[in-house]
Amino acid sequence: MKKMMNQLGESMKTARRWQNASKTAIAVSALSFLASCAKDAPQDTWQPAGPNAERIDNLQRPVFYVAGIVGVIVFAAVAWVIFRYRDRGQAIPEQTHGKPALEIVLTVIPVLILLGVAIPTASTIFKLAKTSDTEMTINVTGQQWWWEYDYPAAGSNAEQYGITAPIVTSGQLVIPENTKVLLRVTSRDVIHSYWIPKLNGKKDSVPGRVHLLRMEGSKPGIYAGQCTEFCGLSHAYMRMEAVVLSRADYDKWVANQLEPYKAPEAGTEAAAGEALFIQQCSRCHQVNGLANPDGSLIISAPDQYLVSGAAPNLTNLLTRNTFAGASWDLLTPECRKNVWNASSADFGERYLEGVSADCLNQKDLREWLRNAPAKKPMYADPTKLTTTGGKYRGMPALGLTEDQINTIIAYLLERK
Amino acid sequence: MTIIERPTTEVAVAGGAPSGVKPSEALGVFKRPAASTSWRDWIVTVDHKKLGIMYGVSAFFFFLIGGVEALLIRLQLIAPNGKVLNADQYNQMFTMHATTMVFLFVMPMAAAFANYFVPLQIGARDVAFPRINAFGFWCFLFGGLFLNSSWFLGGGADGGWFMYAPNSSTLFSPSHGIDFWTVGLQITGIASLTGAINLIVTILNMRTKGMKMMRMPIFTWMVLVTQFLLLFAIPVITVALFLLTFQRSFGATFFDVASGADPLLWQHLFWIFGHPEVYIMILPSFGIVSEVIPVFSKKPLFGYPIVAMSGAAIGFVGWGVWAHHMFASGLGPVSVAVFSMSTMAIAVPTGVKIVNWVMTMWGGKLTFTIPMMFAIALIVQFTIGGLSGVTHAVAPADTQQTDTYYIVAHFHYVLFGGAVFGLFSGFYYWWPKMFRRQLNNAIGKWNFWLMVIGMNLTFGPMHILGLQGQPRRMQVWTEARAGEGFFNLGFWNRIASIGSFTLGTGVLLFLVNVVYTHKSKKVAIAPLDPWDARSLEWMTQSPPQEHNFDVLPTVSHLDEFFHRKYETDSSTHGVTQVRSAEEVMAELNAHPDEHIHMPSRSYWPILLASSLPVIGYGVIYNRTLMAVGAGLILLTMFGWAMEPSTSPDDDFDPPAPGEGGGHTKELSPLG
Repeated sequence: MKKMMNQLGESMKTARRWQNASKTAIAVSALSFLASCAKDAPQDTWQPAGPNAERIDNLQRPVFYVAGIVGVIVFAAVAWVIFRYRDRGQAIPEQTHGKPALEIVLTVIPVLILLGVAIPTASTIFKLAKTSDTEMTINVTGQQWWWEYDYPAAGSNAEQYGITAPIVTSGQLVIPENTKVLLRVTSRDVIHSYWIPKLNGKKDSVPGRVHLLRMEGSKPGIYAGQCTEFCGLSHAYMRMEAVVLSRADYDKWVANQLEPYKAPEAGTEAAAGEALFIQQCSRCHQVNGLANPDGSLIISAPDQYLVSGAAPNLTNLLTRNTFAGASWDLLTPECRKNVWNASSADFGERYLEGVSADCLNQKDLREWLRNAPAKKPMYADPTKLTTTGGKYRGMPALGLTEDQINTIIAYLLERK
Repeated sequence: MTIIERPTTEVAVAGGAPSGVKPSEALGVFKRPAASTSWRDWIVTVDHKKLGIMYGVSAFFFFLIGGVEALLIRLQLIAPNGKVLNADQYNQMFTMHATTMVFLFVMPMAAAFANYFVPLQIGARDVAFPRINAFGFWCFLFGGLFLNSSWFLGGGADGGWFMYAPNSSTLFSPSHGIDFWTVGLQITGIASLTGAINLIVTILNMRTKGMKMMRMPIFTWMVLVTQFLLLFAIPVITVALFLLTFQRSFGATFFDVASGADPLLWQHLFWIFGHPEVYIMILPSFGIVSEVIPVFSKKPLFGYPIVAMSGAAIGFVGWGVWAHHMFASGLGPVSVAVFSMSTMAIAVPTGVKIVNWVMTMWGGKLTFTIPMMFAIALIVQFTIGGLSGVTHAVAPADTQQTDTYYIVAHFHYVLFGGAVFGLFSGFYYWWPKMFRRQLNNAIGKWNFWLMVIGMNLTFGPMHILGLQGQPRRMQVWTEARAGEGFFNLGFWNRIASIGSFTLGTGVLLFLVNVVYTHKSKKVAIAPLDPWDARSLEWMTQSPPQEHNFDVLPTVSHLDEFFHRKYETDSSTHGVTQVRSAEEVMAELNAHPDEHIHMPSRSYWPILLASSLPVIGYGVIYNRTLMAVGAGLILLTMFGWAMEPSTSPDDDFDPPAPGEGGGHTKELSPLG
């Protein structure tokens, strides 16, 4: 008994010493972890920029701290045991089989910790699933390997935001700040997952199902994301951004999207591009208002050529600043920096400028137009289409000449 | 205790066979293979120890293949826009890496240890169904080779090891890779299922006298729980694989959305299997370190009943957590909340084990041998993996973490840092038992430290990569999303790649150690009881003779061997050695058993198992070949059924009888 008391006293003393040491250890490890992180990683899950992501962050931080503390205690215990009880010629220890009281205590403690974690977890789950406070709805559809956004003109306050006709766009989701947007997420082929880490957690887009995802940004800016459910060959090239604009800038964006089509002036390079576009591209890519020489409107029919049955709508391509599943920039690196690093006050104005001829990233766009499957792995080899009933799963190589590419680019530069 | 009467030379099995003719000859089938020392004996053996070694060697071979796949993945990701693999090759690589490591390395390596040591630990002469045991091994090997033959026949599976529908349909994956995957895993599934039944029956029915359930070594306990998990989990994945095979090869539409299917059906089927699978992989390693830590602490396992029962609890609760793999897949908030809670609940019995290992060492007399070092590394690394697991039991946090490198970090900490380190602990601990030589200590230390450093360099940075937004299964990463600063994601990707090669070097050193140990003349024969062990498998020669024990011991304690060597003073609780291991053995073998009957060798297990890939190639290439395979299966099953479980002339020579007139003890394998 006396021996036990002595031991207890000794271990209390060492426990106090260890308490101080473990405090330092926690602080040091927390600091070194933070210091070893990348600065401004665009998809950082610890830098929320909207209330939904903040809700997750407020929940996960204490959980990480608790986990860290438990970890340090276990490591300290292991280190102590290794140090204290290594074989120094001591006698063979008593063959004890356990101490039930101690074991119950050591089981109850984790139960209590986990209860403490479980309750806020459950409440957050339900808060993040709430849909009754929705202010705006956008349909988001994934397909190999890009995202389509469809802003419906009817219902869910569309008129209030000036959306008098449907806006169909891709790559970049544009939403007004401090607005509770509800994304209705689905897919046209395989499962994808929609994820803008700074605005919310991810939600799978599953064919045949519509999943709801809250999305809200607190300040203007551009927020990166990536498809996170493995979706085949070009999974790595299926990206997206969410663009948050002030309400005034958002109204400008909507108005610009709804402007009627302006055909290029006759005789210009862009006009030649339009003719080529009608011939080569408009089968799959819709440009709203584009008409045949006889005046009939062109409605693209991607369902005849593509497995997913959809191709990006290019009506206002150059108001976006990425292309091909948001995998490449339409802006040159300098111009891109100008937009991405803008303060939230300047951001809207710079974003709404779109892509000018000087800022256009010619290199990537040209490579894409020359041979798209060489740039982004797609199932677009015409000799291998037997299993898909002759349909492509991405943009095939069109065999355009450099002159033709020049005219297409001239035409696209007017699409904003 | 004969369950089925043993056929003798006089009693012909088939009705009309002329008397005096051996049953095998009467039926016109193969002559029963006799015992030999040539390589042929490995083909026809039903000895659980030989099969254990064969499981081990084959699994290690697949481990190396899976390792090369992993290194190619890390080579591709060492720099932005990697060019080592194209997208198609990359997708095949991560699919086959995971499939190989899970189904062809960790599971069969655990089966290797279970096969070899469970009968020894419970004092049995073999498993309950020795021929089925052999059949299981060949199914695993042929299934694994069949799966990997896809590399030479148009490429491996490319849908990820989780093979989510509808990306797994022929429309989105037109190569034959996924067909090889579904059929190959169905074949290896037979190995798991038959092995599970075999080991359950063995453990429940074939324990030696006095070996009550609560006296069983903890490794055997964990194997028992694992086998029950396999028994119920394998049928679920088999159904899923069967449906997928029928969809891809025969036009069924189980997962075809256009035909009205809900692709979430596959996810539920896959994870109802997939989550118990996680425990199937970790529990055997928990069992191994629960053997190793008491031996090298010179103390019994702290809270043995609680460790055993927490294993069983994991086995039950493990069925109620599968949807935590699907928190982002669009389940309703109620389901998400329920599975979030149950996932937290399973952390408790898992945490109990960590506590009990630490408490076992507390107050002990620790010697840091290589197996002990691997076991301690498991405690630390599994704790990290367990704690990161709790962070994604928090479902909202998981919607940020899932499908990022944070998850990759988590499950490699539990599976590599946990399961694989446990297996390596087992290699070093049981090597002298299996091969009579102790693996070299100096090389072992290099092996250990390179693996620890490599493992943490590879997977540690992945926590940062994932939390800072790098998704998994990306053929390339780009600088645009890597952030700024010296410690940007590019830096951590490079570190992870460097770590993976360190880890690979560490694993190779294990092979070096094996070669050195068995080729070098300097390595001495291991003593009978090199570690001062505690359980029954050490109470026989190394390696054990075919019938395991000359005398099946009668057990009166948990840690029977230790209690025969040591005595505790009842007043001072001091422990003193009273007998050496050799003395214990001499005492035990003073009166050897007579008439030991061992199961006989057979050609049928390998023949039946080799018919399965024939059907597999038939499903993929040629319907006639399917019929041929089916015919072969019928024939071989018939031949097997007609073969008596024990050859009448294959009685084991009893060891020299003792003076007191030996007692008779028989083992009756059922077949």
